[in-house]
Order: sequence, then structure tokens, then C-alpha cells
Amino acid sequence: MRQATGLLLLLTLLISAGVSAQAQQFNIRTHTLKNGMKIIVEEDRSIPNVALYIFYRIGSRNERPGTTGLSHFFEHMMFNGAKKYGPKQFDRVMEDAGGSNNAYTSEDVTVYQDWFPKSALELIFDLESDRIANLSFDPQVVESERGVVASERRTSIDANNFGVLYEQLGAAAFTAHPYQWPVVGWMVDIENWKMEDLKRHFEMGYSPSNATMVVSGDVRMEEVVLLAEKYIEPIASHAAPPPVTTREPEQLGERRVTVSKFAQLPILMMGYHVPEAKHADFYALKVLQTLLFTGQSSRMYQRIVDRDQLAISVSGSFDASFDPTLFIVSAQPKDGIEPGAVERVIDEELERLKNGPVAEEELEKAKNILLAGFYRQMKTISGKANTLGTYEVFFGDYQKLFTAAEEYRKVKREDLQRVAREYFRSRNRTVATLTPEKPSGK
Amino acid sequence: MLRRTLQSLTVILLMAVSVAAQGGLQLPPAKRVKLANGLTLILVEQREIPLISVNLLVRGGSVADPAGREGVADLTAELLRKGTGRRTAEQLAAELDFIGASFSALTTNDYTTIAVEFLRKDQTKGLDLLADTVLNPTFPAPEVEKLIRQSIDQIKAGRDRAPSVIGNYFNGYLYGSHPYGRPVGGDERSLAAITRDDLLTCYRDRYSPANTILALAGDFVASEMEQELTARFGAWAVKPTPAFSLPEPLPVKGKRLLLVDKPDSTQTFYQIGNLGIARSNSDRVYINVVNTLFGGRFTSRLNDALRVTSGLTYGANSFFSERRQPGPFVISTYTRNETTGKAIDLTLEVLKQLHEKGVSETELTSAKNYLKGQFPPRVETTDQLAAQMAQLAYYGLDERELNDYYRRIDSMTLDDARRVIRQYYPLDNLVFVLIGKRAEIGEAVKKYAPVVDHKVITQAGF
Repeated sequence: MRQATGLLLLLTLLISAGVSAQAQQFNIRTHTLKNGMKIIVEEDRSIPNVALYIFYRIGSRNERPGTTGLSHFFEHMMFNGAKKYGPKQFDRVMEDAGGSNNAYTSEDVTVYQDWFPKSALELIFDLESDRIANLSFDPQVVESERGVVASERRTSIDANNFGVLYEQLGAAAFTAHPYQWPVVGWMVDIENWKMEDLKRHFEMGYSPSNATMVVSGDVRMEEVVLLAEKYIEPIASHAAPPPVTTREPEQLGERRVTVSKFAQLPILMMGYHVPEAKHADFYALKVLQTLLFTGQSSRMYQRIVDRDQLAISVSGSFDASFDPTLFIVSAQPKDGIEPGAVERVIDEELERLKNGPVAEEELEKAKNILLAGFYRQMKTISGKANTLGTYEVFFGDYQKLFTAAEEYRKVKREDLQRVAREYFRSRNRTVATLTPEKPSGK
Repeated sequence: MLRRTLQSLTVILLMAVSVAAQGGLQLPPAKRVKLANGLTLILVEQREIPLISVNLLVRGGSVADPAGREGVADLTAELLRKGTGRRTAEQLAAELDFIGASFSALTTNDYTTIAVEFLRKDQTKGLDLLADTVLNPTFPAPEVEKLIRQSIDQIKAGRDRAPSVIGNYFNGYLYGSHPYGRPVGGDERSLAAITRDDLLTCYRDRYSPANTILALAGDFVASEMEQELTARFGAWAVKPTPAFSLPEPLPVKGKRLLLVDKPDSTQTFYQIGNLGIARSNSDRVYINVVNTLFGGRFTSRLNDALRVTSGLTYGANSFFSERRQPGPFVISTYTRNETTGKAIDLTLEVLKQLHEKGVSETELTSAKNYLKGQFPPRVETTDQLAAQMAQLAYYGLDERELNDYYRRIDSMTLDDARRVIRQYYPLDNLVFVLIGKRAEIGEAVKKYAPVVDHKVITQAGF
């Protein structure tokens, strides 16, 4: 997985879980350490490897104007040296032992991922505990990493028109809530955050009690618990991040954003305010997303790409979140087609869903796609670690993974119409368009 | 936002190799059957999850495209699901989606693969749809025209993202008129020139049982699956497969630089390299080991110098793309406009250091551990296994090569590393391809080569 979460998610249709699998197919147990960190272990010996994920409940929603992007920058700093393992050592020691790692930051969470042969299990605990307990902040390393993150921003935003437009859409759709700024941060903030900001962020977000560890692969529960007690449990807990109390006020009218820049093709993006993961409408919205956007038989693809041939792509993104978020519809119009023409047809399809019946077979198709998607994300130990952690953190309990199929089954045709009418209204949306502009002068 | 970008490239290098030695992982045994019409079946039972993965490989990818009609093989594969003697494009889409199946056509330089995956309970339907698309495509004229128009716009859209087109420019500049220099997906002009007849010809010449490998892995019983496949593909008529020429490419001598102007660039994306190796190269595992240290993982010398130590980039890497004939060796990274010269200097310095200082015993051990430790997740899923088996068969190999992988890694010595560096890492003969803002970087990059060529990102072709 190498896409940038929070930015390129528009380009991928992330299918959340739909399940008819039984919980007992998976050998899962949990344990909570005295310092509050919960550990979820899924034993799977199909390959002699392990995926270990740590989810911290901190992301760009915990930031403030002026230091946007700090969570993501901090994610980078977690690899840059602690007490026992100094600068460069975390990666070197892990790769020497046959392991690799990555991490991602979103609006809500920061997630650290380790993939390694089972022989490296204890070493990984040693590495992780060192950086949770004793991260160091070398000023020179901070400056070098600032350059890395600026380059990441230039690549994911400057060199990607979808990134440019997505950022502008978010900034307009949210006026109060922190989802208004990009996860990577504004460039000027990347250039200006200070050492104190980093230290404060660490104290705020990196208490063991604010994290959940998921281990999937060739391990035994008992050995994982023993190692966690040895390496992680001694790390003292402290206060969790202050709650994010801001709620985005109700939108009172449609908003429009335009971006003109050098480009070959235009882009259309529309963001509708929708609820968070724990809201009762979450599952209906996932089914609606699937019916409209997933597969070449989906309504939007059939109409816009296939039949009317107005765009070369159309997609809908909607993912689990802590706070009310956006359901984003994006399309890349064909050369010579105005974004407005695509917008009109998308609106027609949304109206058709609101006012016309959904065939029982079409609903069943959407549920089948969600079910197959569930199996696909459970194919690998890495996929299982990520999925278990996501359910635990966003839905409050990893076991929700195994009731999701039932939740999807309960979604009726009328529910789709109801949520379409409730959320897909013009006054609840922001429409953003990117228009190609030829370079001036040189 | 992610921290790394490296591993997807490492995957390319690891794809065709495997583990069996050193305990733990044993690949499930494969059953091989050759049908009377010449079709090769490879079946691997792996019953952890109720999924079945199919990988159907057809020999002859973009290299068999007629010159000036680049994109024919790619379009032909994409159109298989756009209408058959029994189903319209819309019906195929509806039936595939109804069972939650995935269906993707991928064309490379040397072959096309059709990857299909469905749940075990939908086996009959899934196999029916696979057989229908592969055996009975009709290439309806309106679908052909539609896909060509869409593909031309996709090429244009790609020009808005330098990383997604730089490989096309690099291959074109390195290989020139050799078939490996052609863009697999075509370009604006070649796509506009393609007719439905070109696609019918491609289908007639390439899609025959003897030219196809059909690999499946997943939740089935091999003997039953063999019957199911024989029932569907056994009557596929034998037909001749005309030969096409794939000459051995020649490496570039000296230094050449192509600068593609993209006036809105805030960064310069660049690739540096020359010819690499063929898949059949007997040094490929050793090369993987050295490349792990040079540019194949996060702590590699390139990433360490350009990212970790200097903060010039988000990521730097190198890879060998293995093909029937030698594919490219590529160093790839990016940096902001003002630091373009500094980053290229540093890249060349890291390459020079590799030649001058070689690698240490400690590094060698680390790279070996890394390749072995990261291997099992590459053969973890049924779709990976099916693709693995199909590719091995394409190259005339089988899992014996996989079973030898750890032993081969372990056999490598420092002398081997020295030889590999000398033999496979170009130093004086290099091709440079840059996409960036010419007004800001044009002067700084002149010094790298006596020959400097220019293009503009908006120009058709690569």
C-alpha cells in the first residue's frame, strides 16, 4: 500500500467490510496492558511472517492553525532516533533482521506498520518500545526531515491535480472543524513548525493508553503478551489528547470553488457532508456508494463513462471517520467537456436514486461486492492487521468486523432513498472544479 | 500521508522468485496439464479463504504491436470484456459485478495477463465469464471507438502527473526504435491510427491455446478444476501464431539527456540508467541482492543519501525491470527545482561510490536477510501464486527455481558482489530523462551530457 491516505483516497475505491464469515474462522484474542494499551492478536501460520500495526488515536484533527501537518511530520520523526536506537538505527536494525516498515497518517489516526519474519518478533518490540518511551529530537534531523516532507507535499499535491483540488474542496467545505486542512499540512506550516510544537505533540498523542496494537501472523498469543509486558507495559501512561469538541455547523447553502492551473484535463469534485463511522447511516451510505460507483455496471460508470461518455473516470469516496466527514464524488471530464456538463448528469443520477425504486437485484449486487471486498482485505496478514485495527479504532470494537455483514443485510431499498435525500442535497455540498490554464509568458 | 515509496519497486524484483528452503514456507504443489490443443493449465490448491484466482497469460505483449499502432495489444485485452457472442459489454459488467468478481487486463512489453478473482461459491459463473471473454470476444465497433477515445484522454490526463509518464519517456529515449521503446498503452497518435481490424488481427494471431498459459490458485480441488477447465477450453481451436521479431537491444554509449518541459513543475522528476538484464540472466538473484543495498529498500545508499541524510527528496530508488530481452536499469527520484543539480550530482556520486568502495560483508548479510524476510508476503495470496506460476511458465521455468531461491541468495560472496557491480551498473554510459520546469533547471542540467534533447509535456508521443 503506497498511496497517500487522505489525499489519493479519491482515486481508490476503498471497500469496507461486508461479512458472512464467522468469527471463529479467525483465531483472535485480546489483552489490555496495565498502562492501558490494548493488544489484539490474530494467529495465522500460513506464512512465517508477522504484521504488527500500532494505531494511535491522533491525526490532523488534533492540530491547530499554524501547525497543520504536525501529526504527519511527527509520524516521520518517529523513525529518526530514540534512546537505545539512535538516528538511522530504527530502519537499519529492522532491515538487517529482514523486516520492513511504513506508517500513515490520516485526519483521525497515525498508524505504524512493521512487516517481518517471525524470528524478529522480540526485536520489533524492543524497537517500538524505545521510540514510544524515549523519542529524541535532534535539531539537524528535524531540518532534514522538513525537506523530506516538503518534497512529499510537492509530489502528492503539486504534481497531482486531484490533490490540489481536494485540498481546496476540504478548505471550503469545513469552516470550523479541523478536517478543513490537509493531512500533510499547508506548505507554510511545514516550513515553520518549531521543536516545541513537536514535543508538545508527542506528549499529547503518544500515551500507550491512546494506542491499540494489532499483531497478525505466525505468533502465539502468550509470547506476544509476554513481550508486551516486558517492553511496553513499563511505559507510563499520561493524559489522552483533549477531545475535539468542534462540530461543523450546518451548511446553509451550496459552496463553489474554482482552481485554474496548468493542466491537460479538467476535474470535478463534489463533497457532501455525511456522518461519522458510528452513525446509524454509515452502512446505508456504504451500500449507496457501492451501488453508484463500484464496478463497470455501477450507475455512475454506466451513465457517465460508458453511455454519455462525458468523463474518463468517476468515483465516490467515503470512509470511516471519527467526526462527520465528506462523501466525495470526483470525475475527470473528457478533453473538451466542461465540468458543469458532468455535474448535471451526476445530479440526474442522484435524483433518480432519490425518486425512483432500486431493484432488489441491484441491492443484492452491491452487497455481494462488499462481501467479496471483505475477503480480499482478509487475504493477507497485513490486510487483517489493518482491518482489525480499523474496526477497533473507528467502530469501537474489532468484533464489529464480524457483524458488518448483518448490518449490510439490514439495509433496505428505502434506506438508500432516505440517505440519498438526506445527504445529497445541493445546500449540503461544495462543488470544486479545476480548469486547465495554458502557461502565460514563457 | 505515507512515509515511504520504495517497496512497490522492490516487488518487481522479487516477483518471480520464491521460498521453500529454510523451513516454514513450502509453496503448495502445482498440478500441470497440457490439453490436446496445446493450452497449459497450472493448478495450485490453497484453501485458506473461499476465493479462486485466475491468471491467464497470452504471449506477445506490446512488442508484437505494429510500428505506429502502439497500444493494439493493450486495447485488445481491455476489449475482451466489452462484448462477446453471448453477452453485451453491459451484461458482462453486470454479471461480473453481481458476483463481486474482479477482472483486470494488463499488458506488458512481453505478454498480456487477464486476472480474474471470484468467490468459491461462484466458481461456475466465474469460469463461464472467463471463458466467454477469452474465447468469444466480438470487438463491437462502438466499444472499440469508445475505448480508443477514452485511452487518448487517459494519456493526456497522465501528462498532468509526471511520475506516471516518466517511464514512457525513459523507455523511448533509451530504446529508440527497438520495440521496448514503444509505450505499452500507445500514445495520442498511435491510438488514433488504430482500427478495429488491427484488434481482430491481434486477437487472431495471439489468442490461441498453444500461446496461452492458464494458472489458477485458490479454494478448489485440482482434479475437479481440471475437468471444469477442460470442458470450457478443451475445444478452443488450434491456430497458428505468426512470429514477430524481438531483436536484442543495444545499450546506449556515452551520455544523453532528455529534458521534458512541464512549466508548472515545482519539482524535477528524473530517471537515470541504461540497459539492465533479461529475466533469464543467471546473475539475477545476485543483482537483486546488490540492488537492495544500492536502491532497493529504505536504508539503501540512494535513499540514505538523497532522503535521510540530505532531505532532498521524499524517496530515491533503483530497479532492474526483467524482460525477455534486457529491460532497463533505472535510478529514479525527484527534488525541488532549485536542488536539481545538487541531487543529480549526489546520485552520480552514490553510483560512483558503489564502484569504488563496493559493499561490505555486513551489508551483504543484511541484504540477504532482507530479501529472505520480505519474500513470504510476496507469495501469500492466491492471486500472487497464480501470477507467479503463469510467469514462471512463460519463461520456461517452474517452482524448482523458487525452491532454490534462499540457497541461491546464501551462495553469494563479496567477489560475486564486486563482479555484479562492475558488470551491471553503468557508470560512463548513461541516459538521463528529466521532467521539470525548463526555465528554472535547463541551464543546471546541461553539464551532464554532451547531447541534450528537449520535448514539451503537451506534445503528442513520448
